[in-house]
Amino acid sequence: MELWDTTRQALVLLGTGDPELWQIVGVSLRVSLSALLLITAPAIAAGFVLAHVAFPGRRALVVLVQGLLSLPTVVVGLVLYMLLSRQGPLGDWHLLFTQKAMILGQMMLALPVLTAYTVTAVQGADARVFETAVSLGAGGFRAALSTLWEVRFGVMAAVFTGFGRIISEIGCSLMVGGNIAGLTRNMPTAIALETSKGQFAQGVALGIVLLILALGVNVALAALQGQGGMRKAWQP
Amino acid sequence: MFSHATKGVKSGAVGLLLAIAAGLGAAPAPAEPDLRLATTTSTDNSGLLGVLLPKFEAKSGIKVRVIAVGTGKALKLGENGDVDVVLVHSRPDEDRFVAAGFGVNRRDVMYNDFVIVGPAADPAGIRGMQDALGAFRRIAQTGAAFVSRGDDSGTHKLELACWRALGIRPETNPGYRSAGRGMGEVLLMAAELNAYTLTDRATQRALAKKTGLTILVGGDPRLFNPYGIIAVNPQRHADVNFRGAMALVDWITSPEGQQAIADFKVDGEQLFFPDAQK
Amino acid sequence: MAAVIEVRGLHKTSSGRAVLDIALLHLRAGESYVLSGDNGAGKSTLLRVLAGLEPATVHSYRFRGDELDPARLPSRVRRQIGYVHQHPYMFNASVQANVEYGLRVRGIASGERKARVREALAWAGVQDLAAMPAPQLSGGEQQRVALARLKALSPCVYLLDEPTANLDADGRRRVIELLGRLAGADNVVVIACHDQEVINLPGLVRLHLSEGRLDAAPRNAIAPLRETRIGG
Repeated sequence: MELWDTTRQALVLLGTGDPELWQIVGVSLRVSLSALLLITAPAIAAGFVLAHVAFPGRRALVVLVQGLLSLPTVVVGLVLYMLLSRQGPLGDWHLLFTQKAMILGQMMLALPVLTAYTVTAVQGADARVFETAVSLGAGGFRAALSTLWEVRFGVMAAVFTGFGRIISEIGCSLMVGGNIAGLTRNMPTAIALETSKGQFAQGVALGIVLLILALGVNVALAALQGQGGMRKAWQP
Repeated sequence: MFSHATKGVKSGAVGLLLAIAAGLGAAPAPAEPDLRLATTTSTDNSGLLGVLLPKFEAKSGIKVRVIAVGTGKALKLGENGDVDVVLVHSRPDEDRFVAAGFGVNRRDVMYNDFVIVGPAADPAGIRGMQDALGAFRRIAQTGAAFVSRGDDSGTHKLELACWRALGIRPETNPGYRSAGRGMGEVLLMAAELNAYTLTDRATQRALAKKTGLTILVGGDPRLFNPYGIIAVNPQRHADVNFRGAMALVDWITSPEGQQAIADFKVDGEQLFFPDAQK
Repeated sequence: MAAVIEVRGLHKTSSGRAVLDIALLHLRAGESYVLSGDNGAGKSTLLRVLAGLEPATVHSYRFRGDELDPARLPSRVRRQIGYVHQHPYMFNASVQANVEYGLRVRGIASGERKARVREALAWAGVQDLAAMPAPQLSGGEQQRVALARLKALSPCVYLLDEPTANLDADGRRRVIELLGRLAGADNVVVIACHDQEVINLPGLVRLHLSEGRLDAAPRNAIAPLRETRIGG
């Protein structure tokens, strides 16, 4: 009945508002939302350019970005660790084992996800959207925004998918964050730690929060896809 | 109570089955079941088990599968019957484990010693101190950076015991970082953060070149770290390999096993000191 | 009357084949042109080149006398040239918002914007549809909204690609009626079309494209190169 006892303790922890637990949830949300906030605009811009502007090497670049979708988080962690380590080229920034390092890592992880999904969304847009905007007097930037707005459900799906990828990743956070209590310990690294300590209750409690977040993201995605479907049905 | 009774019945049934199996033993004997050993990373990473276990396997014909985790997790694995025997280093937890009936036949095996390492510049000025507690106090007083394992490992518990003995709450030191990671990662982190940490000698030796951290305080008996071996209680978990567990307990505390521990050296230095006779 | 757009030596090739090969094209203010020709004769391509949506090599391109690169028209010129696809794209928003788009882009204040939208919708007879989601409209309604969307901006040049294609009888009749009212003293209307009823509308200058060449020059729409050189 270990499983039942643990789950009950976990629910008690959640119900009683255990400060350490919510502090860890806070670190997770702060890091992942900051990373998302910083990377969304450049990633979507890159996705739009890749989908819309013809230039030599574009196809290769799209293939590369799609390949990076499955970029292992530990590889990003390793590269970033070597860059930020005291012996590394960016050692003077003293970022290793800080939240900023975790944010950087999650930005690197989210970038290909957001870009690749934006490419797909923009490629799925009607070619006439951009031309219509331009012929009604919009500049390139405004027309790009209008195109993205027309495929906003796809673009939002990109953002949600990116969030889903980084909120639950552990490899990079553990390596460049260091899982320091109260500072760089987020939900995934805390779960791994609690399990390694044999203290399952807090791990399960955090797991429940993470699960609810992940489910929430997926429900939102499904809702968006439903909306997207309706939009298609509107077209004569 | 009722569940205990059922377990008793169950283990009796298993015993009966084993007896029948033994009776049928004329047929080619099934291979000895593997023995699952949960132990700490220090014994595995130092290479000690790599030397000890082949000797035991050759002698007993029992294959040992090693699960190297922190002491807390190792005991939890034993508690759940996920392993057959545990080799750990945290005496109070070991005693609790036995008292709660999760393990039986605890025996002393050996000890190693812990050292305080830090940056060569030694900002807190603890180099050469004989008294580990004094060194800990000075680190806390100077607000020097200190990386704690923070993972409920034996090393972590030893460190916490030192702070407790001093009556210091380590979190009040702004330079204190609770990492929640293994010894190797913590040493690397201490090097990155110019921090002190408490480590076993074996891991420090393995990583000294990479981290540049030096041993500043060592040799205090307070930092001696005894290892114990405990068989998981077959009354609790009928399916554990109790026979294999006892074979390992007996061998590792025998003169032959103890000699093998004493003979294990890294770079000419003995890392573990057998003390099964005590 | 002065030429609004004057193009000389316009060439465009696709996969090695000449798609457009036009020595001179004059589009004059106050005139409406109908551009006929078989499918693949280059009607759409010519409109798209004039709208700056597709690149082509030109010897010279003048807009109201200014020598410009048609692939990089400055915003003030581009905003004088309106273009409507054969199947106009409706933004996924209300009819009102669709017609408002170009005014918004131009930074026109809300009050004037609303007035001009109302006026354009009334002109196209689609004021009752203002609140409808535009993508849900019928083809004929969408074409009329697209014309209103341009009309609200009062551009100098209207480039319309097959505005009556694939419309039912009623839709077609209403669109043709609008086409007749589009022309004004200061603007140019070019309709690519092979709808005989449109081609036969009174007062239109008829241009005919075949295999990328303009081969009829009624009313001096295509002046001989030599003559225009003298004139220019």
